[in-house]
Amino acid sequence: MVGSNTKLKITLLYILATTVLLIMVFPYLYMVLGSLAPWDQVDRKIIPTDLSLKSYEWLFSGGDGNLARPWLRAFFNSVFVTLASTILMLATAIMVGYALAKLKFRGRHVINNVILFQMFYPAIILLIPLFLIVKYLGMYDTYWAMILPKAVNLWAIFMYTNFFRSLPDEIIEAAKIDGASQLKIIWKVVLPMSKSVTTIIFLFLFMERWVELLWDMLVVNSEKMLTLNVLLAQMFGPYGGYPGPMYAASVLLTLPILILFIIFSKNFKDGMQFVLK
Amino acid sequence: MNKSNARLGWLFASPYLIYSAIFFLFPLIWATYLAFTNWNLIAPDYEFVGIQNFIEAFFSESVRAAFFVTYKFLFMFVPIVVIGSLFLAMIIHALPRFKGLYSVAFFLPYLASGVASAIVVNGILSYNSPFNIWLRGTFGLDINWLGSPILAPLIIALMMAWKFAGYYALLFVAGLESIPKDVYEAAAIDGAVGFKRFWSVTLPMLYPSFYTVTILAVGLMFGIFTEPYVLTGGGPEYATHTWQLEIYQQAFAKMNAGYGTSIAVINSVVTFASIFVFRKILEKWGARHGWE
Repeated sequence: MVGSNTKLKITLLYILATTVLLIMVFPYLYMVLGSLAPWDQVDRKIIPTDLSLKSYEWLFSGGDGNLARPWLRAFFNSVFVTLASTILMLATAIMVGYALAKLKFRGRHVINNVILFQMFYPAIILLIPLFLIVKYLGMYDTYWAMILPKAVNLWAIFMYTNFFRSLPDEIIEAAKIDGASQLKIIWKVVLPMSKSVTTIIFLFLFMERWVELLWDMLVVNSEKMLTLNVLLAQMFGPYGGYPGPMYAASVLLTLPILILFIIFSKNFKDGMQFVLK
Repeated sequence: MNKSNARLGWLFASPYLIYSAIFFLFPLIWATYLAFTNWNLIAPDYEFVGIQNFIEAFFSESVRAAFFVTYKFLFMFVPIVVIGSLFLAMIIHALPRFKGLYSVAFFLPYLASGVASAIVVNGILSYNSPFNIWLRGTFGLDINWLGSPILAPLIIALMMAWKFAGYYALLFVAGLESIPKDVYEAAAIDGAVGFKRFWSVTLPMLYPSFYTVTILAVGLMFGIFTEPYVLTGGGPEYATHTWQLEIYQQAFAKMNAGYGTSIAVINSVVTFASIFVFRKILEKWGARHGWE
């Protein structure tokens, strides 16, 4: 009697959980189905009766007439800018984090406190002068403008500093006795121990950089330099009559993050536990 | 050995130091100065105008709109996202199997670009969308979702809640997992079951997660840009006009760099003060109920 009661409860729980799950992923489904629907069914039928790749063809061939835009180039720009920024952010965060956590030098506590202060400082104040600096340095409308000001991430430094502190000093000392240089210690000893944390920091940095709109919109002007996110935001109005391609571009914008996330989902739980602490 | 360690430390920290000098300290000083000038982003000449920008901002309709829109967003978004993420967390926590699968699925919206989700929401709410046709056919309701000054901010708040609920749920799950089993057992002996148990045991023990989620959610509302920029452009009639939109429009569309910077300064002060007040309220409320 009790057994069947709990069984019923668990079944109901799974029905509830799955319903909520479907609601949560519904916008994604709507996007994918909208991108694959024939044009007369986009936003007219939730589940299209036919499948068509016309939206993607239209997008990849650049659209037509006055509305032609280099979508594939924008996709490439997004990948390039995001990867370059993310790798730089990771590399600098690992170096600085390691220095603050493991190299006992005078002044590291000051740096640590300044970083904490900076993290809680509202970045919006800096927007206008940052834009001006980029302009005066001659970086306006170049990849540099999108990459260099996003080459260091305070949150990532903070995360790595905390994580490296939790690693035992003995391992590093042992490697040092074996004659390894500090760079080698980072590369061969510390990083292999930081896999799950690195995975999650990489995912968060990549995701945040990938969806950046305001900054990329400000510092880049020519069509060929725009990231996919910016191009999509700018063309959303003018492409009002072409919802299919808009969904296709949205899918293009979402897919890389989803793929990365699925590839790394194995390390997700451990990494998240650290990030959420 | 120690000396080389110190040199290495500074060397390793140098990317951060150089970056902060160029992209933080210098612009910070510049911003402080710019906020008191009437510079228009291009002209070589501009004047130091004292606090005139701040006075102008105080009487500006669009700045006032940004100020109140934030609180409007806040009072829609925070309850929805806190209750929603707690609900998701309780589902995840209660599931005997596939916890990971469900938590990852709930987390997926967090990965969405604001631009892409704005496009989807716009499609779902467009005049001839299946949803609106159904509403018209079944209930005779003809609603202009994004044209309504009440519904447009609610839609953006819901979009943000959709995006962040799964992420915040993970914070609540961590909180739920940290509650020891014997606390529940003791509560059961005292007759606390069902909702009573939730109210008098689970909720107080979850207070730290609740506090974190609420403060994160409050802070988030002061920095929204993408969703209103793409979906409503701040309209209708400033109903979704956020601080970031105001700063962007003043500084770059209207080219009032000095004035725009002063609005950014005001935004930061308001953000700091508001988060401080919310923290105090939450702490008082927690202390009154004996939650720590």
